[in-house]
Amino acid sequence: MQAYAAKLIDLIESKAENISKQWAKDVMTHSRTPSYHSLPKDMVIEQGINFYRLFRQMSLAEIPYEEAKTFSWKYAQEFYSEKIPLHEALYALILMRRNLWLYAEFQGTFFTALEKQQAVESLNRTILMFDYVSYQVTEKYQELAIGDVEKKLGAIKTLMMKGHIGGKKSVYKAGLISIFLLGACILTYYNHATLKTEGLFTHLFYIPIILASIWWGKKGIFVAIFLGALILTGHALFLKEMPISGDVVRAIMFVVIGGVVGWLMEGIKKVEELY
Amino acid sequence: MKAFVTKLVDLTQKNAETIAKQWAKDVKTNARTYTYHDSSEDKIILQAKDFYRNFQMMFFHEAPFEQAEEIFEKYAEERYREGIPLHEAVYALILMRRHMWLYAEFQSMFNTEVEHRQAVESLSRTILMFDYIMYVIARKYWKIMKLEWLAKKNTQ
Repeated sequence: MQAYAAKLIDLIESKAENISKQWAKDVMTHSRTPSYHSLPKDMVIEQGINFYRLFRQMSLAEIPYEEAKTFSWKYAQEFYSEKIPLHEALYALILMRRNLWLYAEFQGTFFTALEKQQAVESLNRTILMFDYVSYQVTEKYQELAIGDVEKKLGAIKTLMMKGHIGGKKSVYKAGLISIFLLGACILTYYNHATLKTEGLFTHLFYIPIILASIWWGKKGIFVAIFLGALILTGHALFLKEMPISGDVVRAIMFVVIGGVVGWLMEGIKKVEELY
Repeated sequence: MKAFVTKLVDLTQKNAETIAKQWAKDVKTNARTYTYHDSSEDKIILQAKDFYRNFQMMFFHEAPFEQAEEIFEKYAEERYREGIPLHEAVYALILMRRHMWLYAEFQSMFNTEVEHRQAVESLSRTILMFDYIMYVIARKYWKIMKLEWLAKKNTQ
């Protein structure tokens, strides 16, 4: 630890709580940190104390940058979970530094000529520490924001087969849809030709329709069109004596559902690309 | 008093090209500004020169925060469109400030007792300006990210 910074470090260590209280008062009323105004005061003060104690830890550490991470990550996590926007979290850090310096000035810590020289060194040291913390908090905030989006998209991703199937995923998808379509042809023939009924079996067709739209977006609509055409053809060939209106409505619904799901999925893919 | 405070900024403005080159060299190799590594050197030198020019304007302005909003929101938007992540944009700013100071130290600008006092004043004011810039840039980035998120949501 450099001797010139020792004075400031000692002051911070012994007065961490006082400085934190001043900072909390500032940050909880400042116009650039409005989201802090409604936070519990104790929580804010505790973050301040943690930060001011970090100053000594960093001064003693071999790699100060690494030492700062514990604080920065905790700070980012706590305030991110409180829905504090990043620019406010950064400004709160700036106020931490400012309050620390104001306190030192108020106490007349750097008064003589020699002390003025120490002040420059101390100021530089403080700034370096804040630079590390600002960088790490910004990085962590972005990581948390991306993680949040990933989490929200997690279930859809599973459905999209983006897991370990990896490179062969398109083959599996096409294979699975082919099996579903073959099954749909058999079911349609059995119900229309053998049982002579429109039946409830068409509800099962929504499984391949939705899967195809999830996997291939708007292009997945072709599966819906195929299945719609299938039930209409089956009806025309084997159920001539029954009115076709019911199957027409079903066919239209296939296309509508396939189209809507495909359109939604393309939006989600764009969000994924963004993050 | 004002003359003391402006010493660092005046020096930076007079030597903007040299400082910008030193910054560009640093940012192109620093592990914390990875995205800058493939950028064209001339382009980022120009970026830094513009920054220092705008910084001087802001420094002498009566309402520096409002001036920072006017100038650096555009800067943030440009960096965002270039695909620079916010933490790297912030670190590039930190390096800009550090190079201003390093250059002044290298020129032995603040040596005597009086100059040390001037250094504290100069440094404090410079840091305040950078604080404003950092806040404005982070706020703009966050806003663009939110807007893009909403736009994508609406296309779903």
